[in-house]
Amino acid sequence: MTGVGAVSAWGWGSDALWDGLLSGHTGVREAERFDTRGQRSHLAGEVPAAPAEMASAFPGWRHYSRADRFAVAAAVEACRQAGLEAPDAAAEPLGSEIGVFFGGSTAGMAEGEEYFHRLTSGAQGPARLRLLASQQLNGPSDAVARLLGVTGPVRAFSSACAAGALAIGVALDSLRCGEVEAAIAGGADSLCRLTYSGFNALRAVDARPCRPFRQDRGGLNLGEGAGVLFLEPRSRARRRGVRVLAELMGSGASCDAHHMTAPHPRGDGAAQAMAKALRDAGVGADAIDFINAHGTGTPHNDASEWRAIEQVFGTRAPRIAVTSTKASVGHLLGSSGALEAIATIQCLVAGQVHSTPGDGEIDDSFDVDLVRGGPRRLAGPAAGGAGSPHRAISTSFGFGGANAALVFAAPRGAAVPRRPTS
Amino acid sequence: MIDLSPVVVTGLGTVHAVGCGRRRMAAALRRSTTCWTEVDRSAGYHRREGSRLAALTAGLDLSPWLSRVAARRMSLPSKLAVAAARMALEDAGLETGEEDDESPTAVVVSNPHGPTALLEGILGQYYGEGPLAVSPALFTESVANAPAAQVAIACHARGPNLTVIQREAGALIALAQGAAEIVLGRAGRALVVVVDELTPLLHSIFDRFGGLALAGDDGREAARPFDRRRDGCMAAEGACSLVLEPEETVRERGARALARLRSSADAFDPRAPRSGWSRSPDLLAPALERYLSRTGLEPGDLDTIVSGASGSFAGDRLEARVLKSVWGERALPPILAPKAVTGEHGGGLLAALVLAAAGEPFGPTPGFSEVDPKLGITPHDGGPLGRPSTLLATSLAAGGAAAWLVVEAGEGA
Repeated sequence: MTGVGAVSAWGWGSDALWDGLLSGHTGVREAERFDTRGQRSHLAGEVPAAPAEMASAFPGWRHYSRADRFAVAAAVEACRQAGLEAPDAAAEPLGSEIGVFFGGSTAGMAEGEEYFHRLTSGAQGPARLRLLASQQLNGPSDAVARLLGVTGPVRAFSSACAAGALAIGVALDSLRCGEVEAAIAGGADSLCRLTYSGFNALRAVDARPCRPFRQDRGGLNLGEGAGVLFLEPRSRARRRGVRVLAELMGSGASCDAHHMTAPHPRGDGAAQAMAKALRDAGVGADAIDFINAHGTGTPHNDASEWRAIEQVFGTRAPRIAVTSTKASVGHLLGSSGALEAIATIQCLVAGQVHSTPGDGEIDDSFDVDLVRGGPRRLAGPAAGGAGSPHRAISTSFGFGGANAALVFAAPRGAAVPRRPTS
Repeated sequence: MIDLSPVVVTGLGTVHAVGCGRRRMAAALRRSTTCWTEVDRSAGYHRREGSRLAALTAGLDLSPWLSRVAARRMSLPSKLAVAAARMALEDAGLETGEEDDESPTAVVVSNPHGPTALLEGILGQYYGEGPLAVSPALFTESVANAPAAQVAIACHARGPNLTVIQREAGALIALAQGAAEIVLGRAGRALVVVVDELTPLLHSIFDRFGGLALAGDDGREAARPFDRRRDGCMAAEGACSLVLEPEETVRERGARALARLRSSADAFDPRAPRSGWSRSPDLLAPALERYLSRTGLEPGDLDTIVSGASGSFAGDRLEARVLKSVWGERALPPILAPKAVTGEHGGGLLAALVLAAAGEPFGPTPGFSEVDPKLGITPHDGGPLGRPSTLLATSLAAGGAAAWLVVEAGEGA
């Protein structure tokens, strides 16, 4: 992994994300994008307004959906970190050896809602088709490919909240089998009325900032944004003379095949995904230094996830550091796995695990070592001795029982900078 | 290019206006039978002069594959997908049940538009009655991966579960992804499903984008792939499911392979308009050439092309230009254009690919009567195809994506 890009409730850019995560506070605030009166929750991890220069920096910015904007901004940041200066289709197309692999849940749904409202009510002006041009879930990945001049594979996945992590896993497969030389992988989603009111209707949201793994947790907070990784084989990065930020060691996927919304009560499917990711990475559970949990803050999800962690890590489960990025930025749905992959990498690069905002006691049925009250410096690596890299697993579990896990390692022998970006 | 050997197709299930099951689809393709019906225009979404017909699944009896109780909890795409998946498993001679964790079943679904009726229902509740009126039951089935999840639940499939979204190219990408899960050792078998739901709202939107066929001089709306008079596709809904297994497993259990997957590739033309196709083949044609070369094939090695051409003016033009560019002076092999029968449904393309590889005969391309001199392509005229040995499937999507897949003949249906 030679570049990352992020857009989140903490702002535009991966530095803003890392600063927000280190602050130990939550970026979730009162939602402003649409009227939330009558809803159970009024909170969301909304992305602040884009810097003014974005509109001129990106051709076609005006025609992008909100999710497209997040996607292209994060992708360009990731490419620049990977040493591709000013990637731009017109100036220097990235070509056929690079693929785009994205996961998401909403894409241009917010704009589609506006089209529908105008069409059915006549309110707010005519229903223009341009509102639907990015409505399909492949909108953000296509926008990235179009902007950067990618002519290799461009694939979008929508497997609920596991989509971003699954897309990164598919990108890894594509690199390993030599289909592409490099991959732009991640996801982008924007808040919309449909998901906001849907999760409210399910009573899956918390009226307070979410508190994963706490006794009084009441649900999730929705968020929006994007996370994009630039992936390439180590040999290619070395040849290009670019710094390796971290290593994507393996991925795993499974399905609960149990229920449309409820996770498997024993966490069997989640445990399978984690075990497969570890096997794919060629490491045992004893090599993992921390877990970036799916950690939504809903009663059932956290319980199921903890049982899965117990299955995989056994007696070590209570001693392994666990954090949840969602408590800081909200739940980005399909793209959450992508943004959380970046948070995991940032922790590995910095040698410290960000804390999980939120108050309250830990649920006494979980013997979880949740990182709280500020970042925690990583001790010596869990396995392999002093010269070994730290390793982490990031998990994503979605509606319909789709599960995904990714294993990352810090770069070998690299000095530990405060931030992954210059 | 992804090497997909030695994965084979052992089961095919289809739900389409022409009927349920492989035999109905094979008969429709053999007899060139289309099944267009009037789309409900009562909501007032449509243009008065717009397209009126589509291939719809209303009235099909899915009860042999889906109980009424289970169906009540599902969106239409989930119902179609589960029924097609169960049909495909039956066709493959397989049962569903608890499976081995070490070689589970992967589910890969292409669902380009999601459950549009439910999305429309939720938005109607939201804007009509307020946010509190939104039904949680509708919301849980409104996610794009609901069909994939329901297939996994119905078939006890605990392997990787992915939903691919890439418009018209999604069907071939999903097939390749399903096979890749087996090749990579992550699944013992895979269920690939392509599902499309068509609502009046979606039909009206396709029409407003100018994508649908209109009544021509003869008063008929028809898909006319590669025809001079083509003016759009016929919208369609349905589901198609394939069972994929490693060839060795199939041999061990004494089953037959309908088709053998060899390899796949996909590419993207970033110059394509967001809702249209490039005019020039100069990016996709070299991509197809590279793909065939990496597969160890010359264009002349392919004896049948199963094309995603649907009657779209710009889409068929690009398809024709790419094929002409790759084949050059060589004669093109017979080109099947099954969407003339099935309408714009990626499942129709997959079904036709497998049936062609299994040696099923195909009738003449309905709707085609006049060669477009600018394209110079005549799709299959109903003459004998012979038994194809190596087939190319091709699908170029609006927005720039393209997917190809090479398949070798199976043992017959």
